[in-house]
Amino acid sequence: MSLIQYHFNVEKDDFDRAGEASSNIKKILRQLGIDAAIIRKVAISTYEAEINVVIHSLGGVISLEIDTSSIKITAKDRGPGIANIELAMQAGYSTASDKVREMGFGAGMGLPNMEKCADKFEVESVVGIGTTITMHMYI
Amino acid sequence: MKAGDSVDNKYFHSVVLQEDRCIGCTSCLKVCPTEAIRLRDGKARIIGEKCIDCGECIRICPNHAKNAVTDKLTVLQNFKYKIAIPSLVLYGQFANKVGVNAMLTALKEIGFDEVYEATIGTEIITKVIQEKILKEDKIERPLINSSCPAILRLIQIRFPDLLPNVVDIETPIEITARIAKRDAALRTGFDISDIGVIFITPCTARVTSIRNPLGIEQSYIDAAISMKEIYGHIIRNLNAGVEENITLSTRESMEWSIIGGQSKAIGVEKYIAVDGINEVIKVLEEIETGRLEGLEFFEGMACVGGCIGGPLTIENPYIAKAKLQSIARDLPCKETSEEQIKQYIKMYEEGLISLTEPIEPRAIMKLDKDISVSMKKMEMIEEILKHLPGLDCGVCGAPTCRAFSEDIVKGENQKSICIVKTMETFKKKKN
Repeated sequence: MSLIQYHFNVEKDDFDRAGEASSNIKKILRQLGIDAAIIRKVAISTYEAEINVVIHSLGGVISLEIDTSSIKITAKDRGPGIANIELAMQAGYSTASDKVREMGFGAGMGLPNMEKCADKFEVESVVGIGTTITMHMYI
Repeated sequence: MKAGDSVDNKYFHSVVLQEDRCIGCTSCLKVCPTEAIRLRDGKARIIGEKCIDCGECIRICPNHAKNAVTDKLTVLQNFKYKIAIPSLVLYGQFANKVGVNAMLTALKEIGFDEVYEATIGTEIITKVIQEKILKEDKIERPLINSSCPAILRLIQIRFPDLLPNVVDIETPIEITARIAKRDAALRTGFDISDIGVIFITPCTARVTSIRNPLGIEQSYIDAAISMKEIYGHIIRNLNAGVEENITLSTRESMEWSIIGGQSKAIGVEKYIAVDGINEVIKVLEEIETGRLEGLEFFEGMACVGGCIGGPLTIENPYIAKAKLQSIARDLPCKETSEEQIKQYIKMYEEGLISLTEPIEPRAIMKLDKDISVSMKKMEMIEEILKHLPGLDCGVCGAPTCRAFSEDIVKGENQKSICIVKTMETFKKKKN
């Protein structure tokens, strides 16, 4: 089965380039002829994941893997990790700083929005090491 | 075949190339928002299926090799009763002392039986969006204006998942054309086919839309004459005859063609108005990634300043804006009666002024119908890209290195080579 992989580096606090990975992923999916509604879900959830890496971590990698039946997005970061995943999954819960909130981020909707958009959603996190979010969208 | 040569309206484009003037300079390659231009044999070529007629290439071309196909004045001979609908932009194209009635009288004297202002169209759209569309949730939020034909085509190609957000109502000109034609038929007794509605256009994309409409089956506009072309005739006629009292413009309609004018007229609180096609693309990206939650209305116009920046206008858009605003200040605000609002909503519900045909996505970015073939092609593109310099210089004829490798994989480029790469290889061999 054919498989395509892409990896995008995401830097800590790089708000200037935040969104580039999700924008590139969107273009790739469009060229592959993926349905517009699925692209939108991927775009929204990848953007949320990317912003999370920028805001909360020390940097990481967003990966896209596509085969003929599904799209897999992985956001793997190095950083503080999430102490209580259940709490982080609650809508409105956020640990973002005031500075970040002033920029219009950190509404506490990141993880819940990702879960809503994905067909399969997993969070793995080790405090002090980092977080890996895996999302599958079936095509 | 050049774009625009085609006899079939489906592939008709207003924007065309005057080959003898093109020196192959690559300026237009870079500004095209849909990467629809390639250089082949030293001349720019427009890829018809990708072109959205925004006119960016006409604006940038230093040799004036890009042009717009519009109708000539002789088109008036085709009709027994001729109605001119000037774009609202026209009012901003003259010296300050020229009054609106003087402009319209001068336009009429060119050979029209009637001049009908687009004011009525703007009023109907404003009220229907305000009193009907915004009060329902039939169309996804944020609502996106349907009034800019270049943006509509851009959405079809680059943002197909935002098509459900597009307001399903016609443009002011189209609505005005329908009303004007119907009124004239009733008043004069002429058959509809003998009545010609001629639009005085600042916009290339609108010309394309008349021949090949989006969202409706057929346009009621019979011809479009470029504002640039008719301007001289109007100037010559100014103060020539007895000034007629024609205008019914309101403050809202006068500001409609300035970016933000529609949002202001509708009075929607949470709106973003963006002009210039590249800025529109950026904000649509934000909408697509769900960043602008709570936004109610998005007004996007391809031209800088709004329609006043159209490629077929004469006056600089900022100067035109100042002129329109100065005229608007002396005009009354529009008062619409409950009765009229009801009538407008009825027209919308009955499909008289709404978009009745679905606007389909145009999947021209797609590499292949079969996803596994697409994936193979994508791999090939990435492989070729690794060997290219990434300078996006345009000398090969494609706007970017990526577009160049896409063209090779799609089989659309058999001839051009990367000159930078060739030079590098040559230098290496020499050493």
